[in-house]
Amino acid sequence: MTSLDPPHQTPPQTPRQNTRLKQAFGRNAPLLVVIVLIIAMVIAGALMTDRFLTLRNFTNIVEQSTGLGLVSLGQTFAVLTAGIDLSVGSVMSLASTLASGLIDKDVAQAAWVIPMVLLLCALIGATNGLLIHQLGIHPLIVTLGTGTVLQGLTLLYALSPVGGMPRALEFVAYETVLGVPIGAAIMMLLFLAAAVFLGHTRAGRDIYAFGDDAEAARLVGINRARVLLTVYGFSGLMAGIAGVYLAIRFGVGQPYLGVNYTLSSITPVVVGGTMLSGGRGGVLGTLLGVFLVGVLNNLLNFLQVSTHFQLVAQGAIIIAAVSIYVDTRRSRT
Amino acid sequence: MTDADTPPRMRSDLVKSVLARHGVVLFLAGLLLIGGLLQPSFLGAGNLNNMLLQLAPLLLVVVGQTFVILSRGLDLSVASVMATAAVFTTLFSADDSAVVKIITLALLVGMGVGLVNGLLVTKRSVSPFLATLATAIMLQGIRFALTSGAPSGNIPPFFKTIGTGRMAGVPISVVIAIVVAVVFGIILHKMAYGRRLLIVGGNPMAGRLVGINPDRTILWAYVISGGLAALAGLTLAGFAGVVDNNVGRGFELDSIVAAVIGGVALSGGRGTIAGALSGAAILVAVFNLVLLVGAPIQFQIIIKGTVIILAAAFYVRRTIH
Amino acid sequence: MLSLSAIQKSFPGVRALGGVDLDVRGGEVHALVGENGAGKSTMIKIIAGAYQPNAGTIRLAGEVVRWSGPEAAKRAGIHVIYQEFVLFPNLSVAENIMVGNEIRGRFGLIDHKATAAAAARILDRLGVRLDVAAPAGSLSIADQQMVEIAKALVHEVRVLILDEPSAVLSTKEVDLLFGVVRQLRAQGVAVIYVSHRLDEIFALCDRVTILKDGLKVATRAIADTDHDGLVRLMVGRDLAQYFPPKAANPPADGPAALAFRGVSVPGRVRDATLAVRPGEIVGLAGLIGAGRTELALAAFGILPMTGTIEVKGQALRRADAQHLIRAGVGFVTEDRKGQGLFMNLDVARNVTGASLSSYLRGGFVSDKAEQIAAREEIAHFAVACRGPAGAVDSLSGGNQQKILFGRWTRACRTALILDEPTRGVDVGAKSEIYRIMRTLADSGVGILMISSELQEVVGMSDRVVVMREGAISGELTGERITEEDIMKLAAQSGRKAA
Repeated sequence: MTSLDPPHQTPPQTPRQNTRLKQAFGRNAPLLVVIVLIIAMVIAGALMTDRFLTLRNFTNIVEQSTGLGLVSLGQTFAVLTAGIDLSVGSVMSLASTLASGLIDKDVAQAAWVIPMVLLLCALIGATNGLLIHQLGIHPLIVTLGTGTVLQGLTLLYALSPVGGMPRALEFVAYETVLGVPIGAAIMMLLFLAAAVFLGHTRAGRDIYAFGDDAEAARLVGINRARVLLTVYGFSGLMAGIAGVYLAIRFGVGQPYLGVNYTLSSITPVVVGGTMLSGGRGGVLGTLLGVFLVGVLNNLLNFLQVSTHFQLVAQGAIIIAAVSIYVDTRRSRT
Repeated sequence: MTDADTPPRMRSDLVKSVLARHGVVLFLAGLLLIGGLLQPSFLGAGNLNNMLLQLAPLLLVVVGQTFVILSRGLDLSVASVMATAAVFTTLFSADDSAVVKIITLALLVGMGVGLVNGLLVTKRSVSPFLATLATAIMLQGIRFALTSGAPSGNIPPFFKTIGTGRMAGVPISVVIAIVVAVVFGIILHKMAYGRRLLIVGGNPMAGRLVGINPDRTILWAYVISGGLAALAGLTLAGFAGVVDNNVGRGFELDSIVAAVIGGVALSGGRGTIAGALSGAAILVAVFNLVLLVGAPIQFQIIIKGTVIILAAAFYVRRTIH
Repeated sequence: MLSLSAIQKSFPGVRALGGVDLDVRGGEVHALVGENGAGKSTMIKIIAGAYQPNAGTIRLAGEVVRWSGPEAAKRAGIHVIYQEFVLFPNLSVAENIMVGNEIRGRFGLIDHKATAAAAARILDRLGVRLDVAAPAGSLSIADQQMVEIAKALVHEVRVLILDEPSAVLSTKEVDLLFGVVRQLRAQGVAVIYVSHRLDEIFALCDRVTILKDGLKVATRAIADTDHDGLVRLMVGRDLAQYFPPKAANPPADGPAALAFRGVSVPGRVRDATLAVRPGEIVGLAGLIGAGRTELALAAFGILPMTGTIEVKGQALRRADAQHLIRAGVGFVTEDRKGQGLFMNLDVARNVTGASLSSYLRGGFVSDKAEQIAAREEIAHFAVACRGPAGAVDSLSGGNQQKILFGRWTRACRTALILDEPTRGVDVGAKSEIYRIMRTLADSGVGILMISSELQEVVGMSDRVVVMREGAISGELTGERITEEDIMKLAAQSGRKAA
């Protein structure tokens, strides 16, 4: 058999073991890079001020990262299918405004409003999936369109912060278990569940297969509509949860809450090694990406540089990340 | 595969290609007509002037955005470039002594950002979406830091004239936009660079094999987009009369939307300047109409979103009939 | 086992199948043959549920079936191995084999270990040793083919369709494949085997159905037919009429129109030297993956290379598209739509694509000059199209190919590299393209024809160079240009190793 292998299969200089090691490294390189960067920043922070390496600061970072984490989790799904969800910011705004306006500080209302709002967000997301499937338009355009419509509808409902979330729910944002805020713990559990779903269920593997090669996926009988509905429905749901969570944390919903989250939600996904071309990456990388952004912003706060440099740093991280993880597909002619 | 060779359908081709090329212009004409019937003041001189003034900066950005989209890319950094150029107008003296300096600096920064975008996309294979997003964020951060949050200072009168003045009855900014559109329309449709861009955007491999350097071709598209965005920023600053750090916000998406409405394909290599400009005009006209008929301003946003999806669906339907 | 009756399928403007019957028994290997464009691929896709027929019925084990999609056909035990692989490059070998059939463990979750083990067992059954954890995209083409076959064995198959499976395999791998196919036949599987290689059909198959222009010509038992008879049924005329006569006089000595000297492409081609003289058609034969296309791509600067390219005896300073085109060398690629045509541009702009600078007037592209050029080429090659402003995507494969010939002959008059020049072209256009090639050669152009169709290589080439595993393994001239000799050189070491 070996004598017949085409020459490019067994380059004489590189023993197979070596390439395998490289492969394994290549696949996990993004995770390692992000972990190393986080560690480096933690060390830097610890050297800079003794207030950095404290439980309180840790809690603080995790709390600050929760909203972004939730949206980015959903965004990861969309990106894994070689798509993107630009409606997440508007969905967050809608969820937070609607929940806050309908509940109006009444805990009794919250019991039914929150589930209904989340259901609505999931349905909105599923509608995105359906439009992408039915119309055959690029997800970027579809979600940009629906996102714009949703922002308009949200503003029709309220032009400024409206109603309020009941204080009784604040424990979600501020109570901690072992130093971890409850909201953040819920976020991490959702990440865990998503990781199991993506890695160990057929529907999850179908998402990877679809993102890797949509035509091949069709030929092996993977249901395109189901994948798109799942992915965008989940993304909508996560954006909704993020919106409700932030409304609880701030005490009130805001119609412009999500504006900055739409594009920010992509940073952790990409930094965590999920390729925009689809089929590669995962939610673990996104979680690390979220913490990287969180630690970085926290560190810059301590440095007392203007918060504007957080933006510069975020841009730099994206560029660095995406130019390090060059898509292997590029090397194929 | 071999058996499924694309069928000949030549006669209906002609009708389709006319519709494909000029459908959007016809749509714009229809929109203006219906708008005029619904609300006579829509086509009044005052309102037309108003719409043109709004349209001018968008046109400038759309021309550049079209070049980038034709290269199979996207430029999300245009809004940030616009704001940066606008901020430059306030950085020097309040009179016209620094005008040349400001314009040169703005154009250089705009083209420089375009160059960085282009290099990331071509040399590092970064997806255009991310590359331009990242440079936009960085530029925004730098701008915020430089101005410590809010730019102060006054805009030299020269730019105010550019933004609001008239020449033989026509707003100067509109004249500039039209000149730019014509020049770049000629570059795209009549000159070798334009042809290379269409080839590389439509089929990069085929482009390489006929001897075109795809990297250089794509790079220029981003540089053009950056430069025109800077020009648009200067115009918009003059139009608004005041500058904050978010001048141009929304132009990145609006310019993409205008191009898509105008039939520029996100898959690259297909589209015209005239189409993209009509797309921009449709956007502005629709907004204006919503206001004129007295609907709440939120409807502008809702209608915009609907138009995006409908326009995209229209073009997709047509290509796969 | 599987029977199709009066199957019709049309695409807008084209009738792909016009009422075809096919009857495949369990426990037989049934060959499906026909020229490109005869309707084989459409037929396969209908059986597999990827297309819906416009009319006709499919029966599986006596029952009338209607597939809602590929999934339904697969559930019923019909498995296709397409010519173009259906693999997920980023997913592992195991995941590719087991896609949709992953083994579940606790809580209904996928048990990756068990899944990988199952995949490994199937590969073992095939006698193939592969790392099941490696991404499928990192495998050689032959190994990817094995993964494709392994996918079929996950489930119990009732009908297995192999679409040109041997095109990418070496002789030994073909033997292995035949072993597997025979084994499946013994188990009662109905196998449909699509191939251009007639010797394989005689070695493996029990019956053969011949398609031509979307119609069934005949179904014969292999025992009742012979090689020449089969060819006559396929082509419908004698081969002698099919190919134009070869060059009457062997080309004179003198500098080669195009020469590769010691060209190596890392990992693909080793030290290849070959020359094409003016007026000569040189066939470059070999198995897929032998490095033929890579050689051309390297010359055009797409792949990195070492060594020199000479045009008319002059070594080029750099090997890239610009230098080669300037020196008069063109390249008609195998993948017309992916690497050749500009789908968004009209016929005229496609024709002028490789010689744009000659249509510039003071920096502007002259519409008039382009129109004139396009009209000339349309007339010269008898392209059936709406004119210079017509769209190219609506043209047939043959007409698209002629437009590319027009593009390159306008730009380059020294030499042309043609990669699979008649792939996806119908029979009529095929012989037309052969005539065009010969006319070009007679006018002094040196032609290097990369082709995997042996008939074509034998019928067209004045000289044949064969590549194997990245190196040139031999050269054939005159009487020695036969399918057998070419195959020997193309797969030599395989025979020795076996």
